[in-house]
Amino acid sequence: MKIINLKLKESVKVALEFDNVLPELLYDKNIQQINDIIIYQGNKERFLSELFEIKISGDAENPDDCKIVLDGDLHRIKYIGNNMAHGTIIANGDVDLHVAAMMSGGHIIVNGDAESYAGREMTGGLLEIKGNVKEYCGSSYIGEWRGMNGGTIIIGGSCGKQLADCMLSGNIYIKGDCDILAGIHMSGGYIEIEGNVTSWPGGQMKKGVIVIKGNVGEVLQGFDYQESICHPLINGKYHIGQYDLYIGDSTTRGKGQLWIKR
Amino acid sequence: MTESEMIEYDEIVRNCCCSYCGNNCDDITYLLKDKKIVGVRHACRLGASKIINDTDQRLLNPMIRNEEGILEETTWDIALDKVTQLLSASMRPLFYGWGETSVEAIKKGIVLAQQTGAVMDNQSTICHGASIQAFQNVGHPVMTLGEVKNRSDVIIYIGTNPMDDHPRHLTRYTTFPEGFFRQNGREDRLLITLDPKYTNTAKISDKWIQFNMNEDYSLFNAIRTILNGGKLKSDKIAGVDKEELYDLVDIMKNAECGSLFFGLGLTQTLAKQRNVDVLIQLIEDLNKYTKWSMLPMRGFFNVNGFNIAMTTETGYPYGVDFARGYPRYMVGETTTIDLLNRREPDFFMAVAADPVIQFPGYSIKHLTQIPVIQVDTHWGPYTEIADIVLPSTRVGVETEGTGYRMDGIPLFMKKVIDKPENCHSDEWILHQLNERIKKINGDT
Repeated sequence: MKIINLKLKESVKVALEFDNVLPELLYDKNIQQINDIIIYQGNKERFLSELFEIKISGDAENPDDCKIVLDGDLHRIKYIGNNMAHGTIIANGDVDLHVAAMMSGGHIIVNGDAESYAGREMTGGLLEIKGNVKEYCGSSYIGEWRGMNGGTIIIGGSCGKQLADCMLSGNIYIKGDCDILAGIHMSGGYIEIEGNVTSWPGGQMKKGVIVIKGNVGEVLQGFDYQESICHPLINGKYHIGQYDLYIGDSTTRGKGQLWIKR
Repeated sequence: MTESEMIEYDEIVRNCCCSYCGNNCDDITYLLKDKKIVGVRHACRLGASKIINDTDQRLLNPMIRNEEGILEETTWDIALDKVTQLLSASMRPLFYGWGETSVEAIKKGIVLAQQTGAVMDNQSTICHGASIQAFQNVGHPVMTLGEVKNRSDVIIYIGTNPMDDHPRHLTRYTTFPEGFFRQNGREDRLLITLDPKYTNTAKISDKWIQFNMNEDYSLFNAIRTILNGGKLKSDKIAGVDKEELYDLVDIMKNAECGSLFFGLGLTQTLAKQRNVDVLIQLIEDLNKYTKWSMLPMRGFFNVNGFNIAMTTETGYPYGVDFARGYPRYMVGETTTIDLLNRREPDFFMAVAADPVIQFPGYSIKHLTQIPVIQVDTHWGPYTEIADIVLPSTRVGVETEGTGYRMDGIPLFMKKVIDKPENCHSDEWILHQLNERIKKINGDT
């Protein structure tokens, strides 16, 4: 396996755009070629070696054998794993906007928090964030009707507003709490939230499943209570406890399932 | 007493366009004496006071802040060269404002942003940007104010107070005027206000529905549930009795033609663009029964013009980033407050706007740490932190230009009087900057 270590030399004020740093673009490149990769900072083009200490070990025959490890102060690096299809990226620290946006394969691990739009329009692969994420995780682009359409997102902490906005398919697991309108405009896929939800999960949803194990501030009037089930089988897994099932959102003639633990 | 006894004037200019709010009232008459405006007719108190007090605190010469921190008058060449130098060295320039200038000036601004890789944004970012996002998501059942005047029999205002913000909105377009199908004016119309506060608009309404702040989304979802044949499970939704909501739905369904106007009460509360999103879908639901349409109450006279011009030129309405040589748009990433809060911009130019009045303190703090340029007509709080001041002229008074009314109708705004000697139009200033930047880019 080829491992590429990139350590940011010093913190930056203007965010770096990392969409050119992907396993599929770097797996067959030597150190000189990697040094000369261009990344954008504001309206300026910068060489990767200007900003990062770069170390390479091992070799890769294909992009799936390539792992990129990011170290240093990463909180102003955005678009990590943007459009990624193969390989692995490990970010050791908090990351900026759009991590794993439009990702279609591979594996991204963030050992820290992530800013908004994590996993935006994702279609495959696995995104693991150990800390919290801000708004629009697994969402669509602004104005777009199609959000996350495949893949898996696992969030170790809590999540901001409008999780999985316009989600079509895929799985999202949130270990912590979630803010308002989780699964808004959702028309497929599965969301499991272990913590509390502020209010209005599943607003305008048409299909898909949301499971909430904590408390919910307010369920929208568009959801109709169906029944209460003990240890229901949801998404191929038994959920221990008593769950209430709501169907909605009736305002969009939706048949989405909202399971809330009693 | 005749008018001539009240105000002495020697010239009268009719059918001018007001350059205050999004109503763009185009029936304004200016009274002139010795080529100066001495009186305004037909304008509301806000529009009139802006014209009458025009000379107060007027910026008349370009200024640069010296090492002691004092603004010193200078020549146009020195000021423009200094701006060009700062702009060309900048990594993350940000141009903000544009709500109170002409579309012609905005187009020059877009060219400058393209040349310098800047972000170009306007006041939508702090007002109706959320509405625009919702329009992109679910469409916009739009109307013109002329249609409202002639046809509407039910008028609803939600989260807005036009009696104070757009004083002629009710008298000229929606509630009081006689329309083709509403010959009796006010008597032919039902006025309803939905607002957490008992505003001046609520006071003159036939019906005021008070709901809890930040619960707009829940309220509209409940109304949609009724419209779609569902039943409400709670007795109160967002603090409103369910019977009151059933009554409201009856009124809406039985209207001959309904018009709904909404303001920042929706766009700046908890669910932001989703409040507007669900409201648009509510209007769609109502159109299964009768004719309904909606409009946002836009603030500045050309804030809508910026969105229209920007969309025409770049495909995006506001917060457009040219850093990589092509336009990009991402709310939360390329919008002004987010950029300032992330401490990214290293150059800031406000054209026809005062960010110090409009922005949160945390954002303004960053402005005090970077080069900031003011292109405006009057001394304001922003002047106090500006490093370079470029005095401009008033569109619709000293300069002609195009503005877009809140319903998207373009209006020509004519020139009425001459500009102060050493002031120039926004269009001229931006053209000069463009020429200078072109020269630098050509040299390198």
